[in-house]
Amino acid sequence: MGELATEKHVRYILSVEKRKDNFESVVMEHLRMSGAYWGLTALDLLGKLDTVDVDEAISWLLSCQHESGGFGGNVGHDPHILYTLSAVQVLALFDKMDVIDVDKVTNYIVNLQNEDGSFSGDMWGEVDTRFSYIAICCLSILHRLDKINVEKAVKYIISCKNMDGGFGCTPGGESHAGQIFCCVGALAITGSLDLVDKDLLGWWLCERQVKSGGLNGRPEKLPDVCYSWWVLSSLTMIDRVHWISKEKLIKFIIDCQDTENGGISDRPDDAVDIFHTFFGVAGLSLLEYPGVKPIDPAYALPVDVVNRIFFTK
Amino acid sequence: MKKVQEQKELTNMSEESDSKVEAMDLLRQLEDILESDALIDELGFIHPSQFSLLKEESDISSNLFYEAIHQSADGVVSSVESSNQDSLYFWNRDHKLGISTHVLLPLYRTAKHAFMTTFKQYRMCDNQYDKVGICLPTASSCDNLESTLLRHSKSLLLLSCDFITAWNCRKLIVSKKQQLSMFMDELLLSELVLSYSHKSEQAWNHRRWVIKSISANCSNFKEILGKESELVEKIAERSKMNYRAWNHRCWLVSHMTVDQVLCELKKSRSWAALHVTDNCCFHYRRRLLLKIMEGQSCVEDTVTHGYNVNIVQALKDELDWNETLIKRYVGREALWLHRRFLSMCWINNFVLAAGDASYHSKEAISLYHDFGTFLQNELCLLHSCSTIVDDDFVDVQAQAAHSASYILWLKVQVPKPLENELQEKIRDVDLKTLLNKSCPVRSSLFNYFMN
Repeated sequence: MGELATEKHVRYILSVEKRKDNFESVVMEHLRMSGAYWGLTALDLLGKLDTVDVDEAISWLLSCQHESGGFGGNVGHDPHILYTLSAVQVLALFDKMDVIDVDKVTNYIVNLQNEDGSFSGDMWGEVDTRFSYIAICCLSILHRLDKINVEKAVKYIISCKNMDGGFGCTPGGESHAGQIFCCVGALAITGSLDLVDKDLLGWWLCERQVKSGGLNGRPEKLPDVCYSWWVLSSLTMIDRVHWISKEKLIKFIIDCQDTENGGISDRPDDAVDIFHTFFGVAGLSLLEYPGVKPIDPAYALPVDVVNRIFFTK
Repeated sequence: MKKVQEQKELTNMSEESDSKVEAMDLLRQLEDILESDALIDELGFIHPSQFSLLKEESDISSNLFYEAIHQSADGVVSSVESSNQDSLYFWNRDHKLGISTHVLLPLYRTAKHAFMTTFKQYRMCDNQYDKVGICLPTASSCDNLESTLLRHSKSLLLLSCDFITAWNCRKLIVSKKQQLSMFMDELLLSELVLSYSHKSEQAWNHRRWVIKSISANCSNFKEILGKESELVEKIAERSKMNYRAWNHRCWLVSHMTVDQVLCELKKSRSWAALHVTDNCCFHYRRRLLLKIMEGQSCVEDTVTHGYNVNIVQALKDELDWNETLIKRYVGREALWLHRRFLSMCWINNFVLAAGDASYHSKEAISLYHDFGTFLQNELCLLHSCSTIVDDDFVDVQAQAAHSASYILWLKVQVPKPLENELQEKIRDVDLKTLLNKSCPVRSSLFNYFMN
């Protein structure tokens, strides 16, 4: 088995931030805030967050905030709950929560909760359990979880549980590892994991491991490094990680690296990107790979950052 | 994305010229084409080398076309001919639009700049109108801005399909006008985007927003739902296991009547049989069946009779059909997962049946209502799938693994009143050996449940 090419990955992540000259990079502009979260968290997990200009990053981040309190994906873009969480997570990484008006951000999110407890992504009303996770995770970090109707939020998430033990986007939606991570994470943060059938869900999740050792997100699909995070963190939260082969998974992630140019791809020999680089590193973190800081499976932030949020002051 | 493709793109981009004027011209060309052909239903980004081939072909055939017209009527100029002479970078024929990858970057930058600038102006104009509350002269320039915004956002979205702000802007304008024709245009645009970006989250969202917006005031809502369902199937054909597409189809189900649902179940069956590895389409069938079962639980006893027969027959048909597919297509996980669901629904029916008088109809009794008979059938199926050939046929091994874990599933999931009967029936099956032999990697999982 090869090794984690840390230096190469750090260089790759820093280079992506500057790349603005090809179509593929440029059409991701609208989600730059999430890109920032993926890149910066990966750097922190590899112990290299100090290679970044904090002030420049914070300044850009704040320019993406709207009057409503929500954040857009980039300067001049409409606010959305997705980028609001990413912004708050980035601020948590830098321990700069004091630069924002916490009540304003809280208000933006509180106003997105619907009658049935679900959350919309923005004022246009699309509902998805991902947004439930985002609201709960974000408000928890801001110490404002009590501002939403937690009971109804939990009830809605449970209504998205399927007969196979998994969770979908909305009631009756197909079980998907990403959605499952969001639902389980939200239930973990709100202390409601007792409502999950851990055996059944654990069964569904461990069936994601394929012959190569990689994990897929749904039955019959190819393995993808990002599911190393979503499946693994879910299994961790419900205490069923021992149902998969950790060694095989580590090998799969290591094989997804581009050891020459840095970065990690969805599966071996494909093109790399920031998204898969982050999830590969995060997966290795959960697998306790040496040289990678531990990550919190519910908040998807380094454990020392989460400790700082909840156990200081 | 494959590395080779990425290299090609980088090479192209380095050849691009950065002139602002040329880029504005490109945007104008694109928008003129979009305006002249409102029925464009397919979009593609074409590599320059393929692009020139395409142009050659269409020039040849458009010349033939031109000649044909010329012979039949004097002085008729083929419109096909003139539009093809226009551009090196756009190709528009038969309501298809091709854009050369060579110009994607400058085109995107220009479209984005044009859109964002106009949107800024619009929001300022909008604020003024709201604040004063009377019809200012600037109101008409607001209208002009609106049509400009619709034009630029369309171009931008074809290049960057998940550019949320552009979709939002369209929602803002269309929701103000409240004209059905504009809502229909949004369906056309999102369909065009989906022809290229099958998984675009925002395009699918946008369709739901349109449908929610028109549901109250639309006379042919049922027809629209039907068309949406067909669209998903069309796109699912091109991009297998497309989660967002099928999620959209599941969403439609909550707006359907039980009759529509039964119809969907029937109509989508043949597609499913041709796509047995597509877990999404089987999940869709489960969604439909669940909807039928939901409907049943709310109905009065006297009327229940008809619905009960519906669901009992539907489940039985689905189980039989599923078994046929399992035997025909060896080792297909999606089929076995579907069976897990169907069996649990069937079994739960028995538990309910014990305390529910309405099930004692002739029809219900004539079907195999006996749990024992049902189990017998499932064990036969297990037996026929459990021969593991040492010769490493992956599918045969998979079939053995799937059938064994299916029986384990039944064992774990069976409701308490039927537990003993199941234990009795599978007593002679060495499930533990079957499981560990066919799927050794899952031994921790199996050991846990075998206790």
